Amino acid sequence: MKYGIPPSGAMDQRSFVIGNLLLRNPNSAAALETVLQGLKLRALRRVRISITGGDLDPWLNDRPAPQWAAFTMKEGDVLHFKKRKKGLRAYVAAEGGFDVPEVLGSRSTFVRGRIGTVLHKGETLSTCFSDSEAPGDVLTLPQAYRPDFNRTDPIRVLMGPQEDYFTPRGIDTFLNSTYRISPQFDRQAFRTEGPAIEIAKGPGIITDPIPRGAIQVTGDGRPVILLRDAQGTGGYAKIAIVARVEMDFLGQMMPGDTIRFQGIERKTALNLLHEEADRLDKLRELLR
Amino acid sequence: MGDTYPLMRAVAEGSILVEYEEEVSLHVNLKARQLAFGLERASFDGLEEVVPTYRSVVVYFDPFRVDVDAVRRFIEEVNANLVEIDLPLPRLFRIPTTYGGIHGPDLDRVAEHTGLTPDEVVELFSTQAYPVYCLGFICSLAYLGGVPEALHVPRLSSPRPSVPGGSVGFAGSQANILPVDSPSGFNYIGRTFVEVYDPHEFPPTPIRPGDYIQCPAVLEGEARLVGKKHLGEFAESFQSN
Repeated sequence: MKYGIPPSGAMDQRSFVIGNLLLRNPNSAAALETVLQGLKLRALRRVRISITGGDLDPWLNDRPAPQWAAFTMKEGDVLHFKKRKKGLRAYVAAEGGFDVPEVLGSRSTFVRGRIGTVLHKGETLSTCFSDSEAPGDVLTLPQAYRPDFNRTDPIRVLMGPQEDYFTPRGIDTFLNSTYRISPQFDRQAFRTEGPAIEIAKGPGIITDPIPRGAIQVTGDGRPVILLRDAQGTGGYAKIAIVARVEMDFLGQMMPGDTIRFQGIERKTALNLLHEEADRLDKLRELLR
Repeated sequence: MGDTYPLMRAVAEGSILVEYEEEVSLHVNLKARQLAFGLERASFDGLEEVVPTYRSVVVYFDPFRVDVDAVRRFIEEVNANLVEIDLPLPRLFRIPTTYGGIHGPDLDRVAEHTGLTPDEVVELFSTQAYPVYCLGFICSLAYLGGVPEALHVPRLSSPRPSVPGGSVGFAGSQANILPVDSPSGFNYIGRTFVEVYDPHEFPPTPIRPGDYIQCPAVLEGEARLVGKKHLGEFAESFQSN
């Protein structure tokens, strides 16, 4: 981040990690992130893959493909994501990971920074592992480990570091209003529509670093939530930071979705983070 | 009030924001850069990254490996010996730039606003060395300060959706060279073809906070010709007066 390069990577890390776990891949194995609908992949040879994340109605040839599961595609099989049903992003991981070069210690794509590229029709992808010995049966993730994309409870945030740039009434507005994610939307940030937060000073500050998940308030008083491809520094006051355990759910939200915020203490956020890590460790054990 | 700085507060799960005096000045910026350099050099278990900006430093750490209070004490220790931290010597990057025409869409407007001729604007802007206060935003953008008062022009009322990478411009006392195509509200008067950012190198830019940048005026042909050179070739040692 000190070089102004965002961490980038999967917008829903949890789903991405589970996708790799189902294949016993390391976490660093590259997977595809696909949004909404339309991705179509044809297997040029036998390959074991997994599908996790949002429900984009994947079909394997002429029947629905397993989701939150690893399975084997035979040569000639076609996988097609037909329609967004729930969430926004799905992950396709392949045994061994897709073969993409590492740049700055990462296999993530960051288009604006000329790191990696968006895929186009007709391109061929290779995996780092060519000779699958794994059995062809379907391995499904236990229900208890699936994230809930239907939740409607508030997004938990840690207040600060510049909440003193807002009036008490402004803070109250922030914590008790419903905001709608605006169509101005990308991997860098969500803008929102909703009640204006009353500003005490600023909201310009002397440019300082932006932690991931920061919620800036721009001149119009609306929160802007900075995501995984966000800039590393900025000049707007930050009213709060999204708790880390909430970032994956945000990665599945899209324009038109509504969002509310709830302040939590740092200790609570750390406990949640611990629980999340424990849950993934347990899953790793289970799938070994 | 002076002795209460730096201010320190935990931010989110795994970072501490350290703030020196609330002003944009080289002497306050020096403290931020010294603290960042001192923390990186000393390092500690669980330290992830240190990001200095104008007057602030954010210390990112792994909250599973190190406690926030231990990080706070560590920052206090390094801060107590700030004056003893010697930073790398500053360098001056003289980056050949072509001014005006299609590469400087705002030159005429800047001239009109300042009451100078376009040639005078270029002469004044291109002969200054601008200090790098910090790196960041996107793709290692260098935040430059010290634009002469005669050239102070506000930002555009609405930013341009896309300005080509390599564009050289300013607003108020700040200047920058865009590393990649970006939206921007700065006034762009020239362009360099030297790459100021390369993700396939580490670090992706040789420029460090504390260095200086000058954008000497050359003709477009020369600017394109030298554009193939590595940015490091334009560095020389900086003689402060």
